[in-house]
Amino acid sequence: MAEVVVSGEGVWKVYGQGETKVQALRGLDVAIERGEMLAVMGPSGSGKTTFLNCFSGLDDISDGSVKIDGVDIHRLRDKAKSDYRARRMGFVFQSYNLLPVLSAVENVEMPLLITGVSAKEARERSLALLGELGLGERVHHFPAELSGGQQQRVSLARALVARPAIVWADEPTGNLDEEGSHQVTVLLRDLNQRHHQTIVIVTHDPMVAKVCDRTLQMHDGHFVDAE
Amino acid sequence: MASISGLLLLLLAVVLIATAVLALRYRLPFRIAMRNVRRGKWRTLLIVFGLLVGTTIISGSLVINDTITAVNVHFTYQAFGYTDEGVYNASVAQGGAPYRFFPTSVYTNLSSAAATNSLIAGTTPEVIVSGSAFDRTTGVPESGINIIGVNANESAALGPFTYDNGSTVQGPAPGEVLIDDQLASNLGASAGDHLVVYGRTSAALTVQGVVKDDVRGGFLFGNSAFVTLATGQSLWNATGQINFIAVTNVGSLTGGVAHSDAVASFLNATLVRMGSPAGLAAYPILQMNLNDAVQSGMSVATLFLVFGLFSIVAGALLIAGIFINLAEERKGEMGMLRAVGLRRRSLVLIYYFEGIVYAAASAIAGTLLGVAVGFVLLDLYIHSTKLSASVVTAFYESFTVTPQSLILAYVAGFLLTIGTIAASSGRVSRLNIVRAIRSVPEPPPTLRAYTYFAYLGAVLAAFGVLLFLPNRGGTGDISVPLAGLGLAIVGLGLVATRFVKNRYAFTAVGLALVAWGGTVDLHRAVLGSSHSGSIFSIFVEGIEIVLGAVLLFVFNSDLLTSAIGRLGGTSGRRGSVVRIGLAYPRRRPTRSAVNFAIFAMVVFVVVLVAAFGSSVAGALQSEITTQSGGYTFFGYTSQPVPNLPAQVAGNATLAPQFSNVVPLTVGGVLVRVAGFPGGYADDLFAAPLNASPSENFYTTNQYNFTSTLNGMSTADVWHALQTNRTVAIADASYAPGQVNFGGSAHPTLALGQRVPLQNPATLGVLNVTIIGFMSQEFLPGLWVNPTAAGSVGYANTSGFLLRIAPGASSATASQDLKRAFFPDGLLLYDFAQLLQTSIQDIESSVGLLEVFVALGLAVGIAGMGIVALRAVTERRVQIGMLRAQGFTRRMILGAFLIEYSYVALLGILVGTGLAIWLYYNAVNSGGVSGLGVFAVPTVTILGITTVAYALTMAAILGPSWKAANLAPADAVRYTE
Repeated sequence: MAEVVVSGEGVWKVYGQGETKVQALRGLDVAIERGEMLAVMGPSGSGKTTFLNCFSGLDDISDGSVKIDGVDIHRLRDKAKSDYRARRMGFVFQSYNLLPVLSAVENVEMPLLITGVSAKEARERSLALLGELGLGERVHHFPAELSGGQQQRVSLARALVARPAIVWADEPTGNLDEEGSHQVTVLLRDLNQRHHQTIVIVTHDPMVAKVCDRTLQMHDGHFVDAE
Repeated sequence: MASISGLLLLLLAVVLIATAVLALRYRLPFRIAMRNVRRGKWRTLLIVFGLLVGTTIISGSLVINDTITAVNVHFTYQAFGYTDEGVYNASVAQGGAPYRFFPTSVYTNLSSAAATNSLIAGTTPEVIVSGSAFDRTTGVPESGINIIGVNANESAALGPFTYDNGSTVQGPAPGEVLIDDQLASNLGASAGDHLVVYGRTSAALTVQGVVKDDVRGGFLFGNSAFVTLATGQSLWNATGQINFIAVTNVGSLTGGVAHSDAVASFLNATLVRMGSPAGLAAYPILQMNLNDAVQSGMSVATLFLVFGLFSIVAGALLIAGIFINLAEERKGEMGMLRAVGLRRRSLVLIYYFEGIVYAAASAIAGTLLGVAVGFVLLDLYIHSTKLSASVVTAFYESFTVTPQSLILAYVAGFLLTIGTIAASSGRVSRLNIVRAIRSVPEPPPTLRAYTYFAYLGAVLAAFGVLLFLPNRGGTGDISVPLAGLGLAIVGLGLVATRFVKNRYAFTAVGLALVAWGGTVDLHRAVLGSSHSGSIFSIFVEGIEIVLGAVLLFVFNSDLLTSAIGRLGGTSGRRGSVVRIGLAYPRRRPTRSAVNFAIFAMVVFVVVLVAAFGSSVAGALQSEITTQSGGYTFFGYTSQPVPNLPAQVAGNATLAPQFSNVVPLTVGGVLVRVAGFPGGYADDLFAAPLNASPSENFYTTNQYNFTSTLNGMSTADVWHALQTNRTVAIADASYAPGQVNFGGSAHPTLALGQRVPLQNPATLGVLNVTIIGFMSQEFLPGLWVNPTAAGSVGYANTSGFLLRIAPGASSATASQDLKRAFFPDGLLLYDFAQLLQTSIQDIESSVGLLEVFVALGLAVGIAGMGIVALRAVTERRVQIGMLRAQGFTRRMILGAFLIEYSYVALLGILVGTGLAIWLYYNAVNSGGVSGLGVFAVPTVTILGITTVAYALTMAAILGPSWKAANLAPADAVRYTE
């Protein structure tokens, strides 16, 4: 039986109070295996992003528990949770979220530096990964000087460089054209297969879901179907 | 000031009418602008606060001007009362009598003629002389008093004297004397005391009463004894003569002066017709002194305003920064407005209309705050300076805010704000719709843009050269060529950007500006040393070196931040925090530059003022040596004392206490130079030749020279003065390059210049060549050969330089000397004591100025707060991403604190360094006197910078805290 990396039991997320109360997640139970590439799909407002935020520890939950590698991340204090994110998780967002004041390589090496990897090693690993992603010629460019696809590849490199246990991707192809979207999807699949990297992708794009090992369909805060 | 107010009001009216027309024509932009104002109340409040500083400084300066003018005017009315005009012979002092005597018949004839003039209320014959008094009852002597002989029955027009108990009296009775509060206090006298009053003769009188220092009793600024006309004449052996006729115009105390010109003309015509003695004329004495009073108030205000200019420029930078930030913040929204059909002009108008509201509100708030600031500063001044009770009362009673000043401050503040807003709104018009909507950064300028920069630079450089070349030499204001070359440097830099990288061009410009603005020796090498300095030159130098530093900062920020970043380590949590904290100023230096410039500029001027204060205070001992020439006292007698040195030597008490008693000839001359049509009135000094060793000025003085003709040695200069009747030396205030801190105009002379000196009494002229400028300015005037002085009528010695013997007490020596020569009206000035008092006064004024200019720090602090607040909104997603990557709340807080600490501390350090460097250069160049001995006011600087930094951190703590506590999940998906 494959090892479970992420497990959630009875996860609830409720926003607001009284009449304005919104139940974004309604008692989710989920297990994600190591090396799995999982797609989470669903219509807008179904709770996909809330799922990603709550299961990655970016947001608090209202009830239930989320364990990553057996650690209940919502019981950790801010410092420990931040530390856990730095060492065990990587993130990719639709709008890339690169720091505009850092070059491509500086963006990529930031997660390594945070965890105390030496500057020299961080630079070497970042350059190697950017080269692997086809950005060897653009490493010293700033985000504003890169195309959307290139920025997303830098963002991917940043998510993967610290070899995290799990990569969370929120609409990673949402801002890209068809070709860029294909490139990123292939890249994610390739990394998943070569490095046995667990990847959770929240997406609207059926093409992305198609290359994943499994797809969870969300509707109104709970999973309605599973492949 | 009235004409400036009128012009500004006209400008305001034009702006408001144009705005109203635009608002009616472009209603949609107007409505959007009004909605923007209401959108965020706190932000509006913050913007108004940021904008009001410039107005506050203008308003504060004007309130100080108004109050000091009002105090001066108050004392002027008190000193001259109902004496609107004075008829006297001003041509020469007669050993203690300020005016030459003339027959009483002149008065008789003149008063008859005056009776026919409906503008004249009355005339009063008077004797005005200087003298001494000794109170036999209390045993206290007093020298240097005013003795005024005036008859009760002939002085009704001047009003009555008021006793301290409130009752009044018209004038002194025969055998009695009225003394004013000040003299009563100095003598410890009261009614009934027996006084001996000394002029050329003496008179034993009884104190009839102590009268108030009011419009009648405060005549000639007090310390006065009022006796009958006959007693006054007898004290001066001038029976049948007077030396002053007071003329009172019709109207109130303050209203009579309006007729002064007409009355003075009438009187002068009458005097000519009467064939009155030569030199006798009518002067609008009250009007003249009122003009001086206003001028003196304006000088102080100018000092405050020019130093405040740094803060005003800082305020303008803040305004520009605020509106550029607003434009950035609303870029997407503006892009959408353009997309739905709004024209570029409409976007600019939205900003303009919004700016009008902010400008109007901030100008009102700033004007009112300035009034409060002015009052607080004056209050601080009163409490930190040793002022007499009457002056303190006058200050509080005279606290004045004229409507003119309020209007001037409001309109100037409003126009400054709206002008800066209009200039910075230009960016909005260049908005690219797609880039704005998609938040795509602006591309770097195109080659065409650099070509335009080059054209602009060429124009600027040409203008700079036009200012520089014609004003490079000569004796004009040094600010003009200083600014000219600065503009030329900036212009050439802009031209260079067309051909080389910005970094190279602007680094070169920065270095050149710092070197040009801050190296006083370079100014002298390029411009010569004949220019006159003005307080405005400090502003020009300051702006140039701070601008240079800003350019160096902006175009080399990567090198600087890399160097500093290494100190924080390269990895780990700390290293990451430092890297992120410095990344923004490194990659976006132009944004940080505004705050950096504000801090650098304001700290620069605060430290410069503090350095002046500490250097002057620290230079007391050397200043005493410089100003005293090694002597202890300067003495002056109201009448020539035959051979005072011999009398001292022959006095058993005095002889052991003095090692040198040097006689001097002192007289008044008119220095005939260009720019002073009637000549500049000053003193002429000459020391006798062949005096005994202890009385020989030439061998006993230790005066130094700041510069001499052809590099003559000090000994050569003294030798020339003893042997050559056509040479002269001048005090330091005549030397070129002296900074005039807003005082009345003073001529500048050049070495080798031939100057005519005229005795106004004899009209004899002495032509002399200037061969040296002394370091001292305590005894202001020109020093010539004694024979030359004699040739224009000055031969008597009435001045003395005295040096006490080693071990003698200056206090005892002073008392004994005054006692011995008291009947001669000896006035004795203790160099050390006077300089100490003067330096204490300077320290108080400098302290006040420091507080005033430090107000500009509020600009920097507000600016930093506004930028930090904006950064939290702008970087929300980036903050969320950092949190996702493992940054803790504390790390986010740390990154923000490091970023703003870097900008604030660098600005503080650069401002401090530049100010100290400039002051050091100025002191060591030796060209400017009165700057003291260079001293770094470490404690003051530490205090100022610590408070500035602490307040800055307090201002950015809120936004930084907010950034640190952003929920990462919300932040990463945030869209503005």
